[in-house]
Amino acid sequence: MNATANACESENLDDYTLVRVRGEVDLSWSQQVRDAILAALGRGGVGVELSQVQYIDSSGIAALVEGFQRARGTRRRFGLIASSKQVLAVLQLARLDKVFPLYVDVDAARSA
Amino acid sequence: MNAVPLSVAGDGERRALRFLAELSQALAESLDLRATLDMAVTRIADFMQAEAASLFLLDHAGLIECRICVGPVDITGLKLAVGQGVVGRCVADNATQIVRDARNDTRVNVRVDAETGFATRSILCAPLSNARGPIGALEVINRRDGSLFDADDAEILRLVAAPAALAIGNAQLAHGLVEQQRIKRELELARRMQKSMLPKRRRGDFPIRGVNLPAHEISGDFYDFFDLPDGRLAFVVGDVSGKGLDAAFLMVRVASMLRWVGAQAPAPGAWLAQVNVELCRTLQDGRFVCAAVGQYDRASGKVRLASAGFPPVLLHDGIDFEELAADGPPLGILDDADYGEREFALGQSALYLFSDGATDVRTGATDRLGESGLRGLIARHATLAPEPRLRAVIGDLKRLHLVDDTTLLLLQEPCGTQAHTLLDLEFPAQAAQMRSVRAALRHTLDAQGVAPEMRDQLVLAVDEACTNVIRHAYGGECTRRIALHLARERDMLAFELRDQAPAVDPACLKPRDLSECKPGGLGLPFIAATMDDWKLEPAADGYGNILRMHKRIDTGSTE
Repeated sequence: MNATANACESENLDDYTLVRVRGEVDLSWSQQVRDAILAALGRGGVGVELSQVQYIDSSGIAALVEGFQRARGTRRRFGLIASSKQVLAVLQLARLDKVFPLYVDVDAARSA
Repeated sequence: MNAVPLSVAGDGERRALRFLAELSQALAESLDLRATLDMAVTRIADFMQAEAASLFLLDHAGLIECRICVGPVDITGLKLAVGQGVVGRCVADNATQIVRDARNDTRVNVRVDAETGFATRSILCAPLSNARGPIGALEVINRRDGSLFDADDAEILRLVAAPAALAIGNAQLAHGLVEQQRIKRELELARRMQKSMLPKRRRGDFPIRGVNLPAHEISGDFYDFFDLPDGRLAFVVGDVSGKGLDAAFLMVRVASMLRWVGAQAPAPGAWLAQVNVELCRTLQDGRFVCAAVGQYDRASGKVRLASAGFPPVLLHDGIDFEELAADGPPLGILDDADYGEREFALGQSALYLFSDGATDVRTGATDRLGESGLRGLIARHATLAPEPRLRAVIGDLKRLHLVDDTTLLLLQEPCGTQAHTLLDLEFPAQAAQMRSVRAALRHTLDAQGVAPEMRDQLVLAVDEACTNVIRHAYGGECTRRIALHLARERDMLAFELRDQAPAVDPACLKPRDLSECKPGGLGLPFIAATMDDWKLEPAADGYGNILRMHKRIDTGSTE
């Protein structure tokens, strides 16, 4: 497994924000991911891109769940994009793989 | 000492001082106190010009007995109560008594004269005493010249009594020490004899191991195991009520009886019942015996067990304990007691039979280890092979304070392989540490051939456990430590996570229902979903928590 530096970048695409997360999302910085997602939801729909996430723990999943619930409450679009197999495994374990809208790429997420 | 002042001492006093000096030296140098005291009393009688002299000593029963006597009437062996007669009064008051007119003195015991025909006229009696009080008295009777004893005579006798008392005290002390040495030697002999009764440890793959730790030289506990003609193994653990020599003797008797009856291979319930009837016939003083007996068939793996008031027997499969309570009352109480029995398959489980000494071990001034504490000790070493595990548990018990005889018998088939440590990490309770912990764990699991999916899931579970410690047990990031230990025994991975946080109540940890969609609280469900079992318990030494998690892995194919 190649170690990827932890990073969370937001890219504005008109009324949609793509939040790209990389690395290992754990307790040490999942709060940053949460803040980025909630901030982006203040501007419009959000897609969280997870293809470069090698690890996510329950605090990272909690950040995603919180984003999902906030989006539902404010009628924003919210989805997970290109989730890595590590992320999918944890979503399955948490039985959340049927809860989150999952998209293969940004276009699919934006056109949903 | 209120001695006669030398400067004013006249001839009589000088004579007295010389006599005192000689007597003191003779008593101090004495190797045979009895002979020396005989001589001393004779010389005192001569020096005091007395018709008779006697030495009385207080005995263990509190009576004053005449031990040495010179004069026309031998009263050796005469016993007086403290306060009775002149001698009794002297000891009671720890003060010299002078009787100038014996016939008209109420203190004088007239019976002796009446029985012997001796005419007591005048008596002088000085107490023999040491720092702890009177130990006896020195008495002289009747001046040979017919005159009466006076105050000077009383003073001389008082002075003479001092070295005599000292010599007697020293001799008693020396005798006491010799007696103590003798008792110690005999106890040591008894201990060795008792130890020789315990069965010899059998090496190889023998499934029974026993340990007996006497709290003192000798023990009221015992264990035994022996082969039955049909190939089964019989085993016994017992605990005789009371401590000390009589408990030890009873133990020897009961152990022989259990062996004798057990050799006929009766069913365990009948085995106990038969010994019980015999003990009820002969036991006295409310004594009783707790015992557990059983037979183990290695071919079928079946154990038959019966217990007479013995502490619950524990069956441990490495994860959970099953408690097997007693099947009847202790032996020696009810002669018609019935003892049930049970049969079960041992499998790879460990059967622990321990006397109550193991749970009575002190963990503080008054706190007992208790059964849960003992379970904790056993669980802590569960991944060890039987022999080192028993040693480790005993080691822990010894480090605590043993107050009673303690016996442990372990029945378990040896496992093919022993647990070996794969990973031993210690790190501060900080989230930033977790990335390298996960990397080390991944690396370790890869080396064990664990499939990537399972590896990731195990890493997640351990990570969740660590972050729970950081967030909940420690209440946030800090520099306190977390220790992660990973061992493997055959296809079982044993994770152990220790912290030094205040004890967490395991009862308040319940994985939440995953069908609800909400953030947070996912850590425990991840652990529960991943591991075959997990358990949080307070550390046996009282501070910190231990989370044990087990996972059977299939390294042949992907799970």
